[in-house]
Amino acid sequence: MNPETLAPEWAWYFVAIYFFVGGTAAGAYFIGAMAELFGGAKLHELSRDAFFVALPFLLPTPIFLIADLGRPERFWHLFFSPKEGIPYINLQSPLSVGSWALLLFGLLCLLSFLDNLVADGRLRFAPFARFYNRIPRKTYAALGSVTGVFIAGYTGVLLNVTARPLWAATAPLLGPLFVASGASTGAAAIALLMLWRKRAAGEVFRRLEFFDRLALVTELLLIAAALVLAGRYAVPLVTGFWGFMFWGGTIVAGILVPLGLAWKGRHTEGGGMTTIMLPAVLILFGGALLRIALIQAGQV
Amino acid sequence: MAKGMFVDTTICTGCKACQVACKEWNGLAPEPKHFGQVTGKPYPVAVNFTGNSYDNTGALSATDWRHVRFIEQFDEKRTAGRWLFSSDSCKHCNDAGCLNACPTGAIIRTDLGNVVVQQDVCIGCKYCVPSCPFGVIAFSEKSGTARKCTLCNDRIHNGLGTACAKACPTGSISFGDVTALKKRADARLAQLRGLGMTGANIYGYTEAGGLNVFYLFADKPSVYGQPERPVVPQQRLPVSSAATVLALVGVGVAALASFRERGDREAEEVHHEP
Repeated sequence: MNPETLAPEWAWYFVAIYFFVGGTAAGAYFIGAMAELFGGAKLHELSRDAFFVALPFLLPTPIFLIADLGRPERFWHLFFSPKEGIPYINLQSPLSVGSWALLLFGLLCLLSFLDNLVADGRLRFAPFARFYNRIPRKTYAALGSVTGVFIAGYTGVLLNVTARPLWAATAPLLGPLFVASGASTGAAAIALLMLWRKRAAGEVFRRLEFFDRLALVTELLLIAAALVLAGRYAVPLVTGFWGFMFWGGTIVAGILVPLGLAWKGRHTEGGGMTTIMLPAVLILFGGALLRIALIQAGQV
Repeated sequence: MAKGMFVDTTICTGCKACQVACKEWNGLAPEPKHFGQVTGKPYPVAVNFTGNSYDNTGALSATDWRHVRFIEQFDEKRTAGRWLFSSDSCKHCNDAGCLNACPTGAIIRTDLGNVVVQQDVCIGCKYCVPSCPFGVIAFSEKSGTARKCTLCNDRIHNGLGTACAKACPTGSISFGDVTALKKRADARLAQLRGLGMTGANIYGYTEAGGLNVFYLFADKPSVYGQPERPVVPQQRLPVSSAATVLALVGVGVAALASFRERGDREAEEVHHEP
C-alpha cells in the first residue's frame, strides 16, 4: 500500500454524518421490516415506530451528499449520462450503485411511512387507501429490508475499495461493521421514539433491546478484527484526536457503557431514564463518532 | 494502437522543461500552496518552498500535472553519492482505479488508450482521488472537478506528441506507440545492465494492468516515490461485497431471533383443539 495516495478531503459534517444518518435509517427500516414480516400482530407497534423513524432520518441525506460535491448542480449525472442521454450505472463503483440504491430505498421508506399514516387514519389519501392491502406492503418491506442493509453496508465497501492505507487495510470488514453499527443505532433511534410515545416497556421493547445488544457485541468483535487486519495502518485511528474520539466516544461511551448498563439493569423491571434513554443516546453518539473517526483518520 | 510515454530517468537532468511545457500547453494555474500573495508584495510570488533539493512542487496536484522528483543519495560523510531525477505524471493505467471508481462516466479511455476526465461531466464527488494507487488524480477547488494529465489528449488526437516529451531536451521522456516504446526500453535496460547498473529496472509493464506511461529507474521504485506493488483498489470489491452479503444474512438471523413470533401459533392451535 502506498502512503502517497491522496485523501478525497470529504467534509466529515457531510460525508461521515451521511454514513451515520443513512445507516441509522437503514437499520431502523430493517428492524421494522423484519417485525412486519415475521413478528405478527404483536410487533405491529414496533414496525410502525420503525418506519416512522426511518424516513425522517433519510430525508436530509441527499442534501448532505449534494452539498459535498464540487459541482452540486450536476448531481443528476449520477443517474443520467448527459452525453449519451440514457440512464447510467457503473457496477464497479460502490458510489454509483449506492446512489441508485439510495433512490430506491428512499422510495420504499416513503411508501412504508405513508402506508402507516394511512393505516393509522392520520392521512386520508383515497388512491393510496384504495390500493392498500397486506400483500404489497409485505413486498416492499422485504425489498426495503435488503436495500436498507445495502445502504448501511455499501458505505463501508466504498471505503474498503480505495487505495487509502487505513481503508484498504481494513477490507473486507468495513461493510459488515457499518451494517452492525446501523442495526444498533437504528434500534436505539426506535427505542427513543418508543420512550417518547411512552411505550418503552413490555415484551416488544425487551425484544428490541435484545436485538440492539446482539448488534453491539457484533460491532465490537468486528472492530477488534478490523484493528488486527489494519496493523500499523490503524495508527491514525487509535492515537491522537481521532484515537480519543474512537476509544472514548465509540468503544467506551458508545458500546461498553450501554452494554454495561444493560447488564446492570437486567434485574430491574420497567424503564427509567438511565436504563433506556441514556444507552440509546450513547449508542447513537457512538455510531456517529465511529463514522467520523474512521473517515477522518483515513484522510490524515 | 495505444499511445504512451517511456520515461528514461537515467538521462533526466532535472531541468523541469516538462513541467513548464505542461503548464503552458494545458493553461494550468500555479499551485496555490506554492505560489501566491504575500504581504508587502504587489504581485504573487513563490512561497512555501519544499526545502527538498530542487523539488518545487513536492507532489502532483490538480494544477501540477507533471512533477520532477529530486532524490539525493549520499553517504554519511557526503563524499560519495548520486543525484537521481524522475519526471512523474499520470501513468494512464490499463486497469485505472480512477476510471473504475467514477460514478458518472466522466472518466473515459479514448481510442488511443489515454484516460481523460471529461470536465463537463465530472460532478466533483472526489471518489476517484483515493482510488488512484499512485496518488495522481486530484480535486480542484477552482473548477469543482477532478483534474489530471490527459496525455495531451488534444495534441495526440491531432498527430502531435505530448507537450512534455516535445520539450524534453535529453530525450528522457519519449512519446509514441507503447509497443515500440517497450522495445526501446528493453534495449536501454540491457545496455545499462551491461554497463554494470544492476539496480536498473523497468516500472510499469505489469503494474495496474500495465502502465501506458512507464519508467526506467536506476533504483527501487519506492526510492522514486512509486508503490512497489500498486493494487488497483477494485480488486477488493468481490470479497468486500461478499462479506457485506454475509453481514446481511447475519443481521437477518439476529432479527429473526429477536422478532420472530415465538410459540404463539402453537398456543393458538392448542387453543382451537376441541
